[in-house]
Amino acid sequence: MLVKRLTLRDFRNYESAELTLGEGLTLLHGPNGAGKTNLLEALYFGATGRSCRTSNEREMLRFGAAAARSVIEVEGEDGAHRIEVGFEPGEPKLMKIDGARVERLSGATARPLVSVFLPDRLELVKGPPGSRRAHLDQFVAALRPARAENRTEYGRALAQRNALLARVRAGRSGPSALDAWDHELARLGIVLMEDRTHSVELLTPPFGRLAAELGLPGEATLTYRPRSKAADAAGLESELHEARESDLQRGFSGHGPHRDELVLAHEGRPLRAYGSQGQQRLALLALLFAERDVLLAERGRAPLMLLDDVVSELDAARRERLVELIQSEGQAVITTTDAEAIPGVEDAVTAAVTAGEVRQELAPA
Amino acid sequence: MFAPPVNRLITELARLPGIGQRTAQRLAFHILRLPPEEALPLAEAIKEVKETVRQCEVCFNLAVEPTCRVCQDERRDAALICVVEEPSDIIPIERTNEFSGRYHVLGGALSPIDGVDPEDLHIEELAKRVEAGGITEVVVATNATTTGEATALYIADLMRERAPDTEVTRLASGLPVGADLEYADEITLGKALSGRRRL
Repeated sequence: MLVKRLTLRDFRNYESAELTLGEGLTLLHGPNGAGKTNLLEALYFGATGRSCRTSNEREMLRFGAAAARSVIEVEGEDGAHRIEVGFEPGEPKLMKIDGARVERLSGATARPLVSVFLPDRLELVKGPPGSRRAHLDQFVAALRPARAENRTEYGRALAQRNALLARVRAGRSGPSALDAWDHELARLGIVLMEDRTHSVELLTPPFGRLAAELGLPGEATLTYRPRSKAADAAGLESELHEARESDLQRGFSGHGPHRDELVLAHEGRPLRAYGSQGQQRLALLALLFAERDVLLAERGRAPLMLLDDVVSELDAARRERLVELIQSEGQAVITTTDAEAIPGVEDAVTAAVTAGEVRQELAPA
Repeated sequence: MFAPPVNRLITELARLPGIGQRTAQRLAFHILRLPPEEALPLAEAIKEVKETVRQCEVCFNLAVEPTCRVCQDERRDAALICVVEEPSDIIPIERTNEFSGRYHVLGGALSPIDGVDPEDLHIEELAKRVEAGGITEVVVATNATTTGEATALYIADLMRERAPDTEVTRLASGLPVGADLEYADEITLGKALSGRRRL
């Protein structure tokens, strides 16, 4: 699937703008604050219906405007599609595929997969386990769209069990329904653990290889460590049963896949605690490219990669390898303040971005 | 903005599910335009339904008399009970013409988040009904949602304890009739696989 064009209106610093993407690499260059990252965000917004930068969607609205809109046009195996996402404060989000309104974009086959690198996404490597879990679960959903619902259901069952624990603790409910919620949580939880394990097994070999390719010397590993030792739903259910006493004291569920950790390590040491900024950056890129490879192998679809200011802290040799990797498969959009800093982009589509204006330089052939 | 009685009508209409402020206004002005003989039957229908319809003493379905029409029907199999969340869930089951037993309406599903405990549903009444004897099978037809599943599990556990001789079954979930395998989503297909039966 190819993303052909982005059209936006009243989005961040843009009143209206258009960007035509290349089949391989598209390079956005311009000074700081011109609005390069805003274009990446608009692409992400058009493909997912969410922002990759903020949970406060009002920020995406151009100052003084009533509604922001992002439209992406894609070319899939089944023909052309037009995906439109609109945001107006106080109104339900407007999402349309080929003119027909949809509830959500996840699961829609017409939408492109996207993978995003923003400098503040290093949080994924160095932050708390929750962000890595959420990222892994999003990858599971991209790999097996029909399983996305399972993660949502697990979250619902967990919230219900936690609410019941708190009520029992406060003496407002009896404990009789806890068995039923343990059972339900275990049924959904074991599937979640299996899906994550399967995904990490697929990601581990390319992650190690790509980390080395990007210039992280020594062995880089990816490990999913479930807290639970259970092999099936019945096993997880009995573990939940055992944890009940302490859960009741705390008032929430302390055991289960919602507490699991995905460990990115280098030379056997977790990058979260011991990695340098540069190592964390390379590891995150290796993870994103490993995901691209797995999606391509398993689903025949590479995500559109949105890479913000990705080369700035890399030395010349690593820059070159990164650009080679980007250009080896699929579509990518990268931003930079200095077009000269990106080696070997003669055949890329480039656009100059200045203060809310996009000037296309090389139209795609 | 409008005369107080009009505002009151708009406010009442807007409290209905799925009706926003704008739709409520449109409906209110529609009602205002109607001649009295067309508008008042609605008010009377609401009044009548609230004054005459109550819950069946046996199964908590909607009833005008002390028991509902299903419970009064002697031809229906009294040994078979289908458990549903809401009275409205009975309609699609009745339409199938495949179920000849009686019903039991729970009045919702377990949901600790909303403060719904087993005691808030008609679960104890179900247990008493089954304990009284003569029931061979309880079909649990709660929704295929997290709350519906947990409710089903709770009922199954309770039945094992209180009426071990009664069989408890769950509605199968699977492929819609006439559907091609190719178009079935993974979850539906997965459930259909795990719930497969011998031919």
